Amino acid sequence: MIADGAAHTALHSPLTPSRPIRTRLVLTVAGFGALTLITCVVAPLVGSSSINLRRAVDTSIPFATNVDAQILYIARLPRVLAGVLVGAALASSGVVFQALLRNPLATPFTLGVSAGASLGAMLVIILGGTLAVGPWSPVPAASLAGAGLAAAIVYALANGPRRVMSTTVLLLAGVTLNAFFSALIVFVQYLADFAEVARAARWLMGDLDVGGFDPIIAALPLVVVAALIFIRLPAALNLMGVDPDSASSRGVDVASTQRWAFFSASLATSAAVALAGPIGFIGIVVPHLVRLLVGVDHRIVLPASALFGATFLVLCDLLSRTLLAPVEIPVGVVTAIIGGPFFLWLLVREA
Amino acid sequence: MKLRFGLALALLLTIGAACRGAAPPPPGKAQRIVSLVPAVTEMLFAIGAAPQVVGVSSYDHFPPAVEKLPKVGALLDPDTERILSLRPDLVVVYGSQTDTEARFKKAGIPVFNYRHAVTDAILGTLDTITALGAVTGHDAQAREVVVRMTTGLDRVRMRVAGLSRPRTMLVIGRQPGTLQGMFVAGGSGFLNELLEIAGGQNVFEDIKRESAQPSSETLLQRAPDVLIELRAAQPAGDYPAGDLEVWNTLASIPAVRDRQVHLLVGDFVVVAGPRLADGAEAIARTLHPDAFK
Amino acid sequence: MSPDSSTYLVAHEVSYAYPRRGRGGLVPAVSGVSLAVARGSFTGLLGPNGCGKTTLLKLMAGVLRPESGTVTLEGRVLADLPRRTAARHIAVVPQDTHPAFDYTALEIVLMGRHPHLRPTQLEGPGDLAIAHQSLDATGTRHLADRPFTSLSGGERQRVVIASALAQQPDVLLLDEPTASLDLGYQLEVASLLRRLSREHDVTMVMATHDLNLAASMCDALALLRDGRLLRHGTTAEVLNRGAVRELYDVEADVQFHQAAGHLTVTPVRRAG
Repeated sequence: MIADGAAHTALHSPLTPSRPIRTRLVLTVAGFGALTLITCVVAPLVGSSSINLRRAVDTSIPFATNVDAQILYIARLPRVLAGVLVGAALASSGVVFQALLRNPLATPFTLGVSAGASLGAMLVIILGGTLAVGPWSPVPAASLAGAGLAAAIVYALANGPRRVMSTTVLLLAGVTLNAFFSALIVFVQYLADFAEVARAARWLMGDLDVGGFDPIIAALPLVVVAALIFIRLPAALNLMGVDPDSASSRGVDVASTQRWAFFSASLATSAAVALAGPIGFIGIVVPHLVRLLVGVDHRIVLPASALFGATFLVLCDLLSRTLLAPVEIPVGVVTAIIGGPFFLWLLVREA
Repeated sequence: MKLRFGLALALLLTIGAACRGAAPPPPGKAQRIVSLVPAVTEMLFAIGAAPQVVGVSSYDHFPPAVEKLPKVGALLDPDTERILSLRPDLVVVYGSQTDTEARFKKAGIPVFNYRHAVTDAILGTLDTITALGAVTGHDAQAREVVVRMTTGLDRVRMRVAGLSRPRTMLVIGRQPGTLQGMFVAGGSGFLNELLEIAGGQNVFEDIKRESAQPSSETLLQRAPDVLIELRAAQPAGDYPAGDLEVWNTLASIPAVRDRQVHLLVGDFVVVAGPRLADGAEAIARTLHPDAFK
Repeated sequence: MSPDSSTYLVAHEVSYAYPRRGRGGLVPAVSGVSLAVARGSFTGLLGPNGCGKTTLLKLMAGVLRPESGTVTLEGRVLADLPRRTAARHIAVVPQDTHPAFDYTALEIVLMGRHPHLRPTQLEGPGDLAIAHQSLDATGTRHLADRPFTSLSGGERQRVVIASALAQQPDVLLLDEPTASLDLGYQLEVASLLRRLSREHDVTMVMATHDLNLAASMCDALALLRDGRLLRHGTTAEVLNRGAVRELYDVEADVQFHQAAGHLTVTPVRRAG
């Protein structure tokens, strides 16, 4: 990828590359981590209805009758946790996909994983599927299956005769699959009844109100597995980001790194979309913002993006449920309204 | 100058309004009717115009006789060719299907414009039945149906008169196996009116729309005493009332706590048609079982 | 070619073919090439475009695995060594570097330390010192905090060379190091490489199509055409009119240039 597409250098901040990386990593994680923590503590306390905090934490009142407690622990807390999980997953897989495709404009949805997830969800909503898979209720289960299918197809197409994946082929395969699945989604909706179309449209807008802790617990292992793989990728992604051949001559197994990057980022994205629907802009706005602050070293950008992604989504969800209360703005709409102009600003800045 | 402009505008709007509802054909003439609206199909059969119906929508299932008739699409995908091949002399379309309507007008085929009323919905349904009676030459039967429905609704009203009205929530859709993507009946539309007749009070009365999408927090806050899930058809196979268990997560809702979570299955959920009174009764029986002993 | 005590990086009868795009089958790039590079030497791989010199370079770097034959480093087969180990001895300088992200020069040089670090280990003060030394060696220390993409062509190449030096390799493989540079930068990089070769005891192998550049820098030459090795020996032995005709089908005048201090090749006309 040519220099024109290169993501911008950090603004003057204590985190610019001139300081040793250990210091920067510690400062970054501490800083963003504190932000995430504060957000997670404050967010459940705010909502469309006002609750009596003292009553909510009063353990002498039986939980089943304590409305304030129920709102805090069942309506709001899972939303915040879902926001953390989904925000972190989408932001970090955005970083990994951008590195894999050597393109700062890539998103977790570029390679068709989200389109596959959406198609799976659509089919179940419209055909009235009712089969739950383990802890996954029907729609998220089908969504996960669809995402897996899309990822498998892209992977198969991009794996050439030699071991290294061509980024061009990856991109083309992903974009094509996106278009194809999107067309199928529209077609399936076309065949649907009104009620189903309404539910389908609602799902596509994203929803962190997952209705309890169970869906989160179901998605958690997938995201954790992805995260464990993410930890081993950043140094290799740096080298590949400079030059894939040089990376190879520096001890990076490029083909293997590509596979692990593709697999882990697809896994995280699939889990996030299955849990809360396709919420856009996080996978691209957050990494860019983070790079502006801390530079482009993936060893810092990846954890920082995960933390900031969590914060960002929880805040967007906060806005979504309070701005026009009692009406809720779908969280995907909020991220788009914030993300779109930001993106335009980025483009203008780059010009 | 301004006054003249205002008058001209008013005149234009009136003419426009008169033109918008495509003028139904001269009464009593329609012999080959194609209906794209399931509610209207039901109404036609109820007023005895069944022999005059030659084509129905893809979503028609009631009465059973419609299964034998050719299906011609619906709101999004009306099959104009198929419809024309049936040589209709009246086509029933949705108010929003303006280009479909224009197409039939060009072919010289009269069009009956069905408008799904949101305010005074039940009244709108009765009016539609009456209008259909005029158009098909079954005025008497249409009157009978209207009277039967009105009587039925009044009977329900009387049964529950004076009884305390429980705060109720009508759930019209959600994702299976979870509380995500919840759709409920809002403070307008025929479901809300049925609920009122049935002696219940809609907790979402203040939202003046036909449907609303509340979050878990809103559900907990509104705290209905009775919760009725409405399904158009019994979901297939392994998905019966067991799915209602998802409500147990929101244990503080009085309806959940007092085991007042019910499931009602019936077409009257989506079809504002002749069986409205049955719908009102079904809801009333759920809310006030003792009144029906 | 039997290895003697001074040979260091040796290719034995290596072959490699690329898959043909779209139609299946393979395009041979290197066929049965045997080449022994002596320690401390500066060898040039010469030949026209498509002769296989870049492929041979990649084979000798261990980036590509030969389909037949072996590449050995100090007697050990490269393909059997773990990548990181090989990377501690062999570094590659590619022709062009186009990073997808806006790394600073220092960050790029520090990446050369990767083979010396454990998988999740971060660079420490020692690595930073080596990086600074490498920048000093290439005269680019003052560019350390500048974004790589903002540097000139010559500066970029020097930073990339610094990055390779940070690997502390025993062998440096360069692919057309001055091909995309202006004349001034060409001389700059050429003199840098000569100095590094002499002062830092780094064995160098350079692929180039520039005969004069090779003549000015290399003490040994290997001539390749159509994936086969035509000649190999010292510059003086190998570079003559016959060789140029064989490689390029060009009649040229090969003379020792007093002022420049090395052989120069002046093309006269196309042969035959």
